[in-house]
Amino acid sequence: MPEIRVTPLGAGQDVGRSCILVSIAGKNVMLDCGMHMGFNDDRRFPDFSYITQNGRLTDFLDCVIISHFHLDHCGALPYFSEMVGYDGPIYMTHPTQAICPILLEDYRKIAVDKKGEANFFTSQMIKDCMKKVVAVHLHQTVQVDDELEIKAYYAGHVLGAAMFQIKVGSESVVYTGDYNMTPDRHLGAAWIDKCRPNLLITESTYATTIRDSKRCRERDFLKKVHETVERGGKVLIPVFALGRAQELCILLETFWERMNLKVPIYFSTGLTEKANHYYKLFITWTNQKIRKTFVQRNMFEFKHIKAFDRAFADNPGPMVVFATPGMLHAGQSLQIFRKWAGNEKNMVIMPGYCVQGTVGHKILSGQRKLEMEGRQVLEVKMQVEYMSFSAHADAKGIMQLVGQAEPESVLLVHGEAKKMEFLRQKIEQEFRVSCYMPANGETVTLPTSPSIPVGISLGLLKQEMAQGLLPEAKKPRLLHGTLIMKDSSFRLVSSEQALKELGLAEHQLRFTCRVHLQDTRKEQEMALRVYSHLKSTLKDHCVQHLPDGSVTVESILIQAAAHSEDPGIKVLLVSWTYQDEELGSFLTTLLKKGLPQTPS
Amino acid sequence: MDPECSRLLPALCAVLADPSQAVADDTCLEKLLDWFKTVTEAGSSLLLLQENPCLVDLLSHVLDLKPQDVSPRVLSFSLCLAGTFAAQEDCFEYLQQGQLLLGLFGEAGPLSWAAWSVPTVRSGWIRGLRSLAQHPSGLHFLGNSGAVDALFSLQGDSSLFVASAASQLLVHVLALSMQGKAAGSPSSQGNAWPACAQKIVDHVEACLCSTAAPQVTQALNVLTTTFGRCHSPWTEVLWGQLSPLVAHLLESDPIPAAHSLVDLLLSVARSPVFASADCGLWETMARMLSCLSPTQAGSLALGILKLQHCPQALRSQAFRVLLQPLVCILRATTQAPGPPGLLDETSAGSSMMVDTLLSSKSACVGLLCQTLAHLEELQPLPQRPSPWPQTLLVEAAVIILQLCDGSAVPSSSEGGRLCGALAGCSRVQRAALDFLGTLSQGISSRELMPQVFAVLLETLESPASSPMVLKKAFQATLRWLLDLPSPSSCLDLGPHAPLFLRELFPVLQKRLCSPCWEVRDSALEFLTHLTACWGGEADFREALLASEVPKLTWQLLRDPESYVRASAVTAMGQLSSQGLEAVSESPGHPEVQQGLIGELLHILSMDSEGFPRRAVVRVFTEWLRDSHADVARDTEWFVATVLQMVSQDLDWEVRAQGLELVRVFLVQTLGQPNPHCPYAVTLPKVTPPGPLPEVLRTLCQLQIIDFAFRALFDCDRPVAQKACDLLLFLREKTAPCSGLQEPGNSSDVTSVEATLHRWQAGEQSQPLGNLEPEELLAALRSLDLEGFQGRLAESSDHVEKSPQSLLQDMLATVAVLEENVADCY
Repeated sequence: MPEIRVTPLGAGQDVGRSCILVSIAGKNVMLDCGMHMGFNDDRRFPDFSYITQNGRLTDFLDCVIISHFHLDHCGALPYFSEMVGYDGPIYMTHPTQAICPILLEDYRKIAVDKKGEANFFTSQMIKDCMKKVVAVHLHQTVQVDDELEIKAYYAGHVLGAAMFQIKVGSESVVYTGDYNMTPDRHLGAAWIDKCRPNLLITESTYATTIRDSKRCRERDFLKKVHETVERGGKVLIPVFALGRAQELCILLETFWERMNLKVPIYFSTGLTEKANHYYKLFITWTNQKIRKTFVQRNMFEFKHIKAFDRAFADNPGPMVVFATPGMLHAGQSLQIFRKWAGNEKNMVIMPGYCVQGTVGHKILSGQRKLEMEGRQVLEVKMQVEYMSFSAHADAKGIMQLVGQAEPESVLLVHGEAKKMEFLRQKIEQEFRVSCYMPANGETVTLPTSPSIPVGISLGLLKQEMAQGLLPEAKKPRLLHGTLIMKDSSFRLVSSEQALKELGLAEHQLRFTCRVHLQDTRKEQEMALRVYSHLKSTLKDHCVQHLPDGSVTVESILIQAAAHSEDPGIKVLLVSWTYQDEELGSFLTTLLKKGLPQTPS
Repeated sequence: MDPECSRLLPALCAVLADPSQAVADDTCLEKLLDWFKTVTEAGSSLLLLQENPCLVDLLSHVLDLKPQDVSPRVLSFSLCLAGTFAAQEDCFEYLQQGQLLLGLFGEAGPLSWAAWSVPTVRSGWIRGLRSLAQHPSGLHFLGNSGAVDALFSLQGDSSLFVASAASQLLVHVLALSMQGKAAGSPSSQGNAWPACAQKIVDHVEACLCSTAAPQVTQALNVLTTTFGRCHSPWTEVLWGQLSPLVAHLLESDPIPAAHSLVDLLLSVARSPVFASADCGLWETMARMLSCLSPTQAGSLALGILKLQHCPQALRSQAFRVLLQPLVCILRATTQAPGPPGLLDETSAGSSMMVDTLLSSKSACVGLLCQTLAHLEELQPLPQRPSPWPQTLLVEAAVIILQLCDGSAVPSSSEGGRLCGALAGCSRVQRAALDFLGTLSQGISSRELMPQVFAVLLETLESPASSPMVLKKAFQATLRWLLDLPSPSSCLDLGPHAPLFLRELFPVLQKRLCSPCWEVRDSALEFLTHLTACWGGEADFREALLASEVPKLTWQLLRDPESYVRASAVTAMGQLSSQGLEAVSESPGHPEVQQGLIGELLHILSMDSEGFPRRAVVRVFTEWLRDSHADVARDTEWFVATVLQMVSQDLDWEVRAQGLELVRVFLVQTLGQPNPHCPYAVTLPKVTPPGPLPEVLRTLCQLQIIDFAFRALFDCDRPVAQKACDLLLFLREKTAPCSGLQEPGNSSDVTSVEATLHRWQAGEQSQPLGNLEPEELLAALRSLDLEGFQGRLAESSDHVEKSPQSLLQDMLATVAVLEENVADCY
């Protein structure tokens, strides 16, 4: 029984590290290879031992697909390819291919620097891993091998994020990765065609939430920043090099322009220049507005935002600084935070998720006295704000996507179990399809009934056309031919062509029937009578009397013989081929009725 | 336990026990368990529970809740926690008194609750039992609580993780119940197994006889783990009892759970218990080899060949199985037959092999890749079969590559079909190139070299080769070139290498211009390695200099891709070290005028990315170490210029590498660090080029001291660590100078110290100014460098990782969890 099997190694009823194994028509694909930022040991990576049990990884897996550059979707990739030993192809979009190594490198540096981890992937490993990447364009059908093909669709979320359709024959699965169904300041909304996959694997981060308008959040953000700088305070926005940083930069840049503000805005790292460079490079991946205005003015060439120098942090007066990393756990952002934390006029705005243990996590949970290295206690007097700008589809968006793709069934990942359960019921009710939500390690098996495409030879079609009947689109018609299975494909051809292609000799199959007639005449005379009778009856057919005494009608052969025991009975041996079966049966019936009496 | 943690614990337990409170994510609970594990491993669990009654209260409370109120996460956590405590027998008894353990792990507990349907709970239940099963009381508990029966059914759990953990636990229980029974091991007639072990063995037996494949697989997995982990005499009895059932499995067609069966047989064969015994194992293996499909037989054959002890006949059979696909390939092409005994054998297996190879493209590709990988694994092992048919293997790899690139001429219809299946298949190409690369080792005959080099060149030249194939082709080429006999003279290279090099460089040139950065980078990496090894060879130098390669490499210093720029920097560094940059002679290149050093300095100061800048400092460090001519011309200017740029760099790895450069300079100026080992051989001391105060003055003038002090307070730990080591080295080297006159004006030292304090506080805008040697020495003495070193050695996130921080975070999160909805990166 053909089936599709899905096993999440990560992202099954959780939002940690996405890694989903899909087995479709004998092909095995890994969807995302993420890392859990909350752990510092091997638990940060998916447990790959369940795949390595099946022999060599490269033999077992046909490909790995990465949906976007966030570390919870690609962070384990160098570990998987260079340390666990996967040596096959990795697919991702061009922007993801360009940006992914920056974030991996960024994280590696922090892991080595901050945590002093020695057993972590190296720069060289990241590069070697990236060399295994095959970049794909949107809507381009890529053949992984002769049977497996993949196709990317726009997912919004972050630059280069894509949903992937995986197809083997007529069976297909769509994996959404993270997506956003509403356009934001720099990216468009996710879109997929009505591809009717057997299964849609969708993220469900906001499975139960209908998010308020992003405009409100943006207004709120601008208001807070503005108020702080107006009263002479400094604003720190810890960000990761790519993604939200660019969105917020556009937001502030536009606001500064409109309000004609002079307060400096800085970006603390060289990484972001590169990030902005990528946004420029992949302008086609951004939203329509940015693309349209690009000719007049490049949105990513910021007039007000300048590169930060470490010395600027001590400058008096207000300023806004974007600094990495985003969780305030090391480097520049933490250094600036330490300097500014003691002043209540200042503000830190956390625009994203922070894992336990980081300073970001602590201040977001309301802790105001932080023990730093060397047992110093840092008192946080500055204001702390949390603003979520994460670009995930909300419940409405998820339903919209399911409606767009029209899958036969749905599988939820990347969300919390309770919320998923709610959404699962909603999807099942509204779309009348099965909806699954496996936990990590649980396998969902979906039986499929694949329709197998069959090619028809031109010769056979021409033969059919020669019979004079024009094909009608809505009227099925019976067509005879020989089905050939060759090189994993099916073709219907004429039997002659089949014999020729397969190098086979034709076997003749003849049906024989004996007709007993009461007649005392000799065999030759009998045959002559049969000939005369048939000649007069079958006017449209070619009836022949052969020199050896037998009679033929097309391919049908009739011979007269004497009965071995009763000389008063003659036996007519009638034999015909399969093709002339109709005529053969007719003749037999005719002859059984006897021959007409000849005038004596 | 830390008193602060003891203080926080009751509040946290109260939160965990309260179903209305949302608890922080799973990672926090996992980290909490890690901490409890550390605490219980270091001391008495019983004492811990007595001192912190809130822990037992938490466990009781979880049991008292209505099953529908229990959070699966907290339940799972509680099960693990109870198991962790009960790992110590006295604590187990303590918990048993309150019937807590039976409540948690018994049949009336979570096993029968609705929450059982959540895999985390089942997983927690198993983990708890796994921790608990450490002593006879625990084992007794397992036997009586119905847990073993539950484990049997959990082996078939819908969650891979749960099923695997259940299987592992059964093995652990079996081993535990057999502990101490080694002397009086059970007889093969049975009856002597302890009750719990008997139950497990009976279950395994029943599963082996089952007609359902999943049950057979489960039994085989349990046995594989058992023989892999337990090496006591009882395992021999167990195998004696079960081997007929295992052998019986071979009579079915197809063989059920073949993959697991292979694992089991290999696990038994690897066990030291069976080292001398035969027990029908080899016969079973031989039978299995002959009836498995070629793909499945491959892994068994490899396993057999990797065994230390194994009958020769079986090894030969296994090797034939492993070689068969390659033999088929060679037969189907025009190759001459290899050694007798390997190729002239026609067996049922070989016709099955041909069928598999030709049945479909994917079967052919899969089997070949697997075979090549298996042989690659075997090649370097000492126990590989002898004689090792190196020639045949090289021929096969070459032919496969030719089939892939379409240059093979098939001699039969099978060959034609193989051509069709393999043409353009990069997966097989990659595997074949990896294999061919390994085969360079131990190659005794030069006969095959022309063929090998030809196919490598073909692959490198082919426009159809993918970037990954090219990378592997470069790697294989490098291995074959480097494994040539030591190039002490041109004659030693033999006639092939110079010829090959002449053809190779035009190809390399083409690949350096590839539109794919991956290809340009792989080509540069290849060039770097080859130059490092062969840079002194006349043939190599001649061929390289006659080509455009040095010029192109120079041009790649301005490549749009940073990885390529970094590799070009390394390659140019290597070429220059060997005097091979060559471009300087060609006029008309404006960049040449300033020389390579100028170009690299430009990259160091201007490149927006870390990789090329890091590569430049690495190259400079090497040049300084090797006294490169450009550096030796004015070393002080060179060091000062590099440091000026490095100190401004945003990338901590560039700064750290800069400190390495300083270290090399200091060693050259002041001599090697003093050996700390009293028995170490003392090297002759490098005499400083002038009196120490002069040297120190130079160091100050070159801003080396300023750089090192700033780096000491760097916000990135590795930089600070390196700077600290460097300053310690400097202090040690200047110790003989301590008699140097104290600075006349002590306020100067005070001002230095004040500046250093400001730097430490993060205000680094003020320069240190021009230090006098005396001030430097005083500053070095006044700094507690050992203290710095100690603090830096402790990972800077030790505060974050502390249990106290974890407890605080978990408690603090409860209040705000609802506010900050899940947000993901």
